[in-house]
Amino acid sequence: MGEEGTEGTVHLLCLAASSGVPLFCRSSRGGAPARQQVGPWRSGSPKLEGLPFSVIGSLNGVHMFGQNLEVQLSSARTEDTTVVWKSFHDSITLIVLSSEAGTSELRLERLLQMVFGAMVLLVGLEELTNISNIERLKKELREALSGFAEAAGTNFASLVVSGRVVVATESWWRLGTPEAVLLPWLVGSLPPQAARDYPVYLPHGSPTVPHRLLTLTLLPGLELCLVCGPRPPLSQLDPQLLERWWQPMLDPLRACLPLGPRALPAGFPLHTDILGLLLLHLELKRCLFTVEPSGDKDPSPEQRRCVLRSFYTLVTAVHFPPEPGQQEDKAEDAAQQPQVPKACYLVSGTEEPGTGWRLVALQSGPRRLLLLLSAQSPVHGLRGLATRTLHALTPLL
Amino acid sequence: MATAALCGSRQSPEGLLGDSSPQEDEDCDPEDGDSDWGSYSSASSDYDDLEPEWLDSVQKNGELFYLELSEGEEESLLPEPPVVNHVRFSENEIIIEEDDYREGKKYEPKLKRFTKILKSKRLLPKRHNKKNSKDSGPVSILKHQSHQKTGVLVQQRYKDVSVCVNPKKLTVTKAKEQLKLLEVLVGVIHQTKWSWRRAGKQAGGERLVVHGLLPGGPAMKSGQVFIGDVLVAVNDVDVTSENIERVLSCIPGPMQVKLTFENAYAVKKEAAQPTQKKVQLNTEGDLVKLLWGEEVGGSEQKVLHTPHVVLYLTLELDSETSKEEQEILYHYPASDASQKLKSVRGIFLTLCDMLESVTGTRVTSSSLLLNGKQINVAYWKESDKLLLIGLPAEEVPLPQLRNMIEDVAQTLKFMYGSLDRAFCQAENAPRVDHFFELFFQRALLPARPHGGASPGAQQYEAASAVLLDGLPGVRWLPLPQEIKVELDTALSDLEAADFAELSEDYHDMRRLYTILGSSLFYKGYLTCSHLPKDDLIDVAVYCRHYGLLPLAAKQRVGQLVIWREVFPRCHCRPPTDSDPDAFQEPEGRYFLLIVGWRHFMSCVLLEAGGCASTAVGNPGPDCVYVDQVKTALHQLQAVDCRINEQLESSPSPCLSCADWFLAGSHEKLDCLTTSPILSKLQGSSKVATSPPCRRTLFGDYSLKTRKPSPSRSSGGPDDGGEGGEGGGPSPHTTPDTERKQREADGSEESGALLKVIKKKSALLNPFHVGNLKKDLSEKELEIYNAMKLTSGPENTLFHYVALETVQGIFITPTHEDVARLGGSVHPELIKNFHRCCLSIRAVFQQTLMEEKKKAGSVADHSDSTDSASAPNPVKEHGVLFECSPENWADQKKAPPVVAYWVVGRLFLCPKVQELYVCFHDSVTEIAIEMAFKLFFGLTL
Repeated sequence: MGEEGTEGTVHLLCLAASSGVPLFCRSSRGGAPARQQVGPWRSGSPKLEGLPFSVIGSLNGVHMFGQNLEVQLSSARTEDTTVVWKSFHDSITLIVLSSEAGTSELRLERLLQMVFGAMVLLVGLEELTNISNIERLKKELREALSGFAEAAGTNFASLVVSGRVVVATESWWRLGTPEAVLLPWLVGSLPPQAARDYPVYLPHGSPTVPHRLLTLTLLPGLELCLVCGPRPPLSQLDPQLLERWWQPMLDPLRACLPLGPRALPAGFPLHTDILGLLLLHLELKRCLFTVEPSGDKDPSPEQRRCVLRSFYTLVTAVHFPPEPGQQEDKAEDAAQQPQVPKACYLVSGTEEPGTGWRLVALQSGPRRLLLLLSAQSPVHGLRGLATRTLHALTPLL
Repeated sequence: MATAALCGSRQSPEGLLGDSSPQEDEDCDPEDGDSDWGSYSSASSDYDDLEPEWLDSVQKNGELFYLELSEGEEESLLPEPPVVNHVRFSENEIIIEEDDYREGKKYEPKLKRFTKILKSKRLLPKRHNKKNSKDSGPVSILKHQSHQKTGVLVQQRYKDVSVCVNPKKLTVTKAKEQLKLLEVLVGVIHQTKWSWRRAGKQAGGERLVVHGLLPGGPAMKSGQVFIGDVLVAVNDVDVTSENIERVLSCIPGPMQVKLTFENAYAVKKEAAQPTQKKVQLNTEGDLVKLLWGEEVGGSEQKVLHTPHVVLYLTLELDSETSKEEQEILYHYPASDASQKLKSVRGIFLTLCDMLESVTGTRVTSSSLLLNGKQINVAYWKESDKLLLIGLPAEEVPLPQLRNMIEDVAQTLKFMYGSLDRAFCQAENAPRVDHFFELFFQRALLPARPHGGASPGAQQYEAASAVLLDGLPGVRWLPLPQEIKVELDTALSDLEAADFAELSEDYHDMRRLYTILGSSLFYKGYLTCSHLPKDDLIDVAVYCRHYGLLPLAAKQRVGQLVIWREVFPRCHCRPPTDSDPDAFQEPEGRYFLLIVGWRHFMSCVLLEAGGCASTAVGNPGPDCVYVDQVKTALHQLQAVDCRINEQLESSPSPCLSCADWFLAGSHEKLDCLTTSPILSKLQGSSKVATSPPCRRTLFGDYSLKTRKPSPSRSSGGPDDGGEGGEGGGPSPHTTPDTERKQREADGSEESGALLKVIKKKSALLNPFHVGNLKKDLSEKELEIYNAMKLTSGPENTLFHYVALETVQGIFITPTHEDVARLGGSVHPELIKNFHRCCLSIRAVFQQTLMEEKKKAGSVADHSDSTDSASAPNPVKEHGVLFECSPENWADQKKAPPVVAYWVVGRLFLCPKVQELYVCFHDSVTEIAIEMAFKLFFGLTL
């Protein structure tokens, strides 16, 4: 908590639940994802950076052993590492090992959910539940996930999206949580192209029937995404749509571009102490996120993101009731909780003034605001500042 | 009766020490000149003749756990026909001495046996000897003598006394009165027990315990009858209270009568022995029942069905002997629910082994889902052994479980030296079973034993245990200087051990033990300690585990003597070779002596070896040391009520009840129609819950338009109409006398009511602080501030916990404080506060761990500390909660809401301190300031 947390390692393992055959394995060290193939069956692989096969086998073994005895192993912790097991549809077991600072079970569980969502998105649920040909699936997954796991392996759910949704139709927003988060990730992770026609399964909406994800690059860094059925073909879409609908919009689109990492309209009044901001709308399931509200560089955006992310998992796992729709069983606890948490703050740094940072979270109706503030900000004013900021942001989300 | 000289009845004024007290007192202060020991004049003044009643409970290995409730408590505890009269439990067995008068039939066979034994009286000493040969008796300073005297030590169970009686002499005027013949004829005074008389049970009769001797009576003249003896037969006719009069009335004329008495000490033993075997079989829950009371019954089932387990496994398997379950060194309990957890031990072993090799750090915990219930398992690895404790997450949150396993490991090491010794030595198994039975009861039973009287205190105890049981400190009761000095002096005197039998000069030999330090608890609060911090915590954790602290708080203990060898961590550390000049602990052995008496409990740590003589074998408790501690406690009797007073009205920061801050429409009316006594000093901690004080606090503007009741005439303008700006001068002037009176007797009413008024007049806006202060004279303000922790005009403090880790103490409101506040929302708030603090503390613990790691790495590579990786330790963490009363009936209106902060603050330098406070949202508080106020002058 409050650590930079970049010097951790994350290992992500995917295994077929019944046979225990590893489907893929990804590791990231020090924030830089490392891709490698798993296991001795691939001859000639260099010294494995990741986990040895025996460890993977044991990790899966303990989980399976427990399952046979009707005991579900869900997580384990060492002094600096957290391991989370999760199986999906009795066919896929995902295991994640993370030694990043500030990791919590909640965060890893969500990560696994997203990873599984991504797998469904790319190869479909049916393929995953009825594994007939492991080697084929392995190959497919390997290909499909090559770029994807990097994003998933290091980023947390809804917090870090490389591409931001600027505007969308109502029906886009009605997509389920996994695909709504995953589709922009997917778009961001694919190599840049002028246009794409990409088959996707929607983990929530349509896990078995594939849809098509069409993307059109309107401007560099600005892409239009459509999810549609067998029609229309991309070739038809391209000239028609672009010229007819988007040509007149060129200027506003250009204006969108510089918003980029700040994610806020230019000139939006934001207190100078604010180093990072995350606004969640729990009902609309949208969020507004930035770690670069102003131009200053210290601490680095990665560090800020990390701190804010840790704080988010802390408040979500420990203090605030979980977001609706995340975990069905946990929602019940929240309902009968007579003591409702409304705000939360955290001060870090040594006793010397001006070191460290402050974090504050505020819940108001469906909105939840998290702020990362510099050390100058007085502790007793945190809540006031958060309240004012939330008020100012309300029209935006 | 009243005229009778009750020789030796130096009982405590309340007569609480029971039948055994005369002997005990004789033991503990034989040279006390203040009592008439006439009846003992012929008896030997040697200790060995007058053994303390706990002597027989000493175990083979020298350990002793002897507890005797005071008689008054026994009866109040068990108003029904008593089930438990005397409870003594050694660690693996609990001996219940059933009162013989309970069931007549039980008594009969015993008497028959007595007669049998009587006939073969000569056999008795042998049996006793056999027992002693293993034991070699308690070691006394007079070591050489103790063996020599074995013969004397063996006390005869029965004695025959011949007395001359002359029935002709008496004038039978009060023949109808009970037991008169016994008194006038024999000179023995026996009082029927109240409880027995009340119950009206006659069957079987009561044992004829000698409560007193009639001066000049035949019994006294004989010089052989002592108080506490039991008259069992007259001329070989068995007698009880039922038939004694009949038997005595048969004496026709002056004659010599043979009275058979059972020795006082033997009574105890005999009573204990027959039940011993039976009890050993079902020790389960006896101490638990004693501590938790009878309501345990229902929840026993619950505990049984809750999956919980403790396992001690070895990681090194002998592959040649492939015995089933060979890796399990210890397992408890054997219930079905825990069986499942036992069966998956393979998971734990694998995880422990594998994850450690992968990550390089030790496994701390894992979570399982068992029947849809989340079970947390905490790991504790030492060398190649693994200790596991599994408990449901619902009952025990993970951070608490982690603290608990550390506590368990520490306590077991304190008691047995190492986990291996605790778990792997067969003779310890029943003790460890008992240990974990207590442990799981504590963990799983919501109602904790405490304070008995009020459910509020009990609730508080249950709610706070989540946090407080895991703190590395002992709950401390700050006392005024003069009391503290008195306690310190008493302990210092004891520790000096340079007087009477404790001094080396007395017996002209090397002393057996050096007293390393002692600490004194009152009603479970630490009042005084001369122990180093680590020792203090070790001792306190041990006491907490065996429920001794709440026990002393709940009931007055008749007598508690605990003796055992211990292995304090700071003394039993292996010597470090790095620095030969460093202080080396002497290679001694350490013993813990705990003596409890009434609400006091004293823990003394003794060292054998070093400058005292070396301990040989398993020495039992030494009478001299026990007695000296006991004497020290008796001396403190005078301070008892003063400490209690302190406890009742602690001057520490006063608290508010959350319910007072709730706005409820019906309550508003109440508060307007009651007649208030006005006072400005609202900060009294003595504010109690009375209906009128549950009123609105802030921003209830509807109030302003109401007319105040005419009865509120004690001065001040009618502020009902003008309070709109909140700026009107406070209309109330407190009559000095009234305030003084309130201060003196803590009149709750005024405190509560005054708040009503003040709030109305001055606190319409909580941020308009000035109004009230303006009106207070400076002196008043001073008192007011001294008692208040929060800033602002209103006392908004709900609760606090302050931990000081250097001395190993923490302070938090007493049970009395919290019980006094009452309220309906408040208990919920307290519960939530502790839960939240546990989470906050988990963050702090993480920080502390990282700091430690950093400090370690800095020491290793002092040059490689780059500022980039300088971590930012979390130092403050706060959560704002809103709560509203449960079962809000009014559909039309939203329930009133009170918002409060739970803030934790961690101080790393100059010393590690932790502060947790809970206060109302109305005033901005700065944690550092509060901490300064709380920690100021917080020294043992």
